[in-house]
Amino acid sequence: MSTADISAAGTSTAGVSTPAAEASAAGASAAGTEVLGQAAASARTAGRSGGVAAFARLLGSELGLTFRRPRNLVMLALLALVPVLIGVVVRTFGSDGDAGGIVAATAGNGLMLTFVSLYVLVPLLMPVAVAVVGGDAIAGEANAGTLRYLLTAPAGRTRLLAVKYLNAVVFSLALTVTVAATALITGLALFPVGDVTLLSGTTVTMAEGLLRTLLIVGYVTAGMAALAAVAMALSTLTEIPIGAVAGTVVLIVVTQVLRAIPQLDWLAPYLLPTRWTGFDAVLRDPVATSDLGQGLLAFCAYTVLFGSLAWARFTSKDITS
Amino acid sequence: MRTGKLVRWGVPVAAVAVIGAAVAAGPVIAAVGADPVLPERTASRLLADAAAAARRSDGPPPMSGTVTKTASLGLPQLPGGPESPAALLSGAHEAKVWYGSHDRLRVALPGEMSEKNLIVNGEQAWLWDSSSNTATKIKMPAGEGQPVTPQPTDLTPQQAGERLLAEADRHSTVSVTNTDRVAGRPVYQLVLTPKDPATLVREVRLAVDGETYVPLRVQVYAKGSAEPAFELGFTEIAFEPPAEENFTFTPPQGVKVEEKDLGSLRPDERSHEGHKQEDPPVKTVGDGWGTIAVLPFDRASAAEGEGRQVLDSVLAGATPVSGSWGSGRIVKSKLLTALLTDDGRLLVGAVTPDRLIEAAGTR
Repeated sequence: MSTADISAAGTSTAGVSTPAAEASAAGASAAGTEVLGQAAASARTAGRSGGVAAFARLLGSELGLTFRRPRNLVMLALLALVPVLIGVVVRTFGSDGDAGGIVAATAGNGLMLTFVSLYVLVPLLMPVAVAVVGGDAIAGEANAGTLRYLLTAPAGRTRLLAVKYLNAVVFSLALTVTVAATALITGLALFPVGDVTLLSGTTVTMAEGLLRTLLIVGYVTAGMAALAAVAMALSTLTEIPIGAVAGTVVLIVVTQVLRAIPQLDWLAPYLLPTRWTGFDAVLRDPVATSDLGQGLLAFCAYTVLFGSLAWARFTSKDITS
Repeated sequence: MRTGKLVRWGVPVAAVAVIGAAVAAGPVIAAVGADPVLPERTASRLLADAAAAARRSDGPPPMSGTVTKTASLGLPQLPGGPESPAALLSGAHEAKVWYGSHDRLRVALPGEMSEKNLIVNGEQAWLWDSSSNTATKIKMPAGEGQPVTPQPTDLTPQQAGERLLAEADRHSTVSVTNTDRVAGRPVYQLVLTPKDPATLVREVRLAVDGETYVPLRVQVYAKGSAEPAFELGFTEIAFEPPAEENFTFTPPQGVKVEEKDLGSLRPDERSHEGHKQEDPPVKTVGDGWGTIAVLPFDRASAAEGEGRQVLDSVLAGATPVSGSWGSGRIVKSKLLTALLTDDGRLLVGAVTPDRLIEAAGTR
């Protein structure tokens, strides 16, 4: 963005009286950065423990906003409904016919409903929910005109980005736990409970089955957190939150389509959605740790790559709204 | 400001570089990290050592690992799902293998949210398919499961190696390299380069473990492509006795259990008598790498159901050709060429289309 753009945008919002707005209204984006720099410096002098407390406070208020927002709560509730729906359908209509082995196994053991539900939701619906929260992170503030105020607080852009990302990660965890927990409760209520049969045909105790469920929740959360980084990177590129959300969803759909093309089989291992359903490695005997490790490495790579993109863009861009 | 911005954007660029390097060069780093130091071996010596190792013990040492098959034959896309046999002709497939001894084996084929298992333990074997929730118990006849390896008992390993090599030498140039790694293990690679210029095969590479002489990988390279057209080999391997649980199987509760005798799984043996006269007489033309198989082929009655679909879709993409012998359709892949003539002959060989058309003229 050129200085001319800045001054134009700055003048249009010059009515708002904040230090940052005044700075950009003055026509010098460098001055704005200076103000932020001073703010960050003063935050640094406040000491390490103070910094951590401020960070926690910021994260706390961010989480409060996220989990009080009706839109997010509706998404959580809708996704929590899916396991209940699957459970009721399997219970009512039985699992005969062409139902896959894992769906059939649900009728025999309630714990399987957790795996089935995650398997159904992980390719598209859960990522969409995460994309909404991640895509809204920066662009939402910019759109509402609140990003400037956030940056005048002595927090610094890097820290703000970190808080926004952690917020999306916590939402991913909450989403996965919600789905898994409703599936577990529904499964326990509707189906017999006991030893769990793994995909390899080995039977493990209920306790180990629950432990493996925990592992799956961790893995799926990591996968969703990687997607949150992608959504966050897109969010720093635009001031229209719906653009970042839609962009992320389009990316998910496009990669899912690419995966379905047999000629592009060689590409599949590098695509994020391929790794999401990789949690079935936990349900094998012995646990396919190398597959699991590769999935986690892929999530790590995506998080680092898109996280650094978001950081580079956000810390070097001129904030005008 | 300007330089600050540049430095900031340097971070994601560095991230791309690091991730790209890790993805692309993972195997290279492993290979460069420690150059395998295997003593030099001539081809005949290597084969002799391998034969000796095969005879010394009862089969290969205990191991477990992952076997991957990759085929990029350049075939047209075949109908049928990923579970159909036709799907094996393209793409990558993975299997996990646990090998205890010649009668203790487990092979697992992982699928998305499913798994197929074959567990062999002594005279009992189980087939487990999680997608249909069925376990099949197979009775193995006593003595079955012995490795079906050639038993050149009247030859010393040295002689066996030389004899094999003489056979290979007639049609190929044989060389040995000792600087490669497969699944992290130093290997000898036996490279066979066909002498026949008409074949589509550039070379075949067989990697043999430098310590145990277990074959770890086979690669077939087609002419004109740098990547192997077909590859089957270990991507992970550990020469340690696998955990005993791998070889025991108890059918889980609520699972369909079927029992089968190994005899009933081999219908071809019983019905062989009746079919004997109908067996197509296969002729061959040429020898070595240029061998062409000629068999009668009736398109109408050859295949039904899914096979029919596959055939039709393959023929739809075939090139019509003609010669003094008549006309037909030719299908070319990277490694194999097939010619179906209108007078009902099928010619298949790892040769160029020209050679196949030429062979169609010789009755």
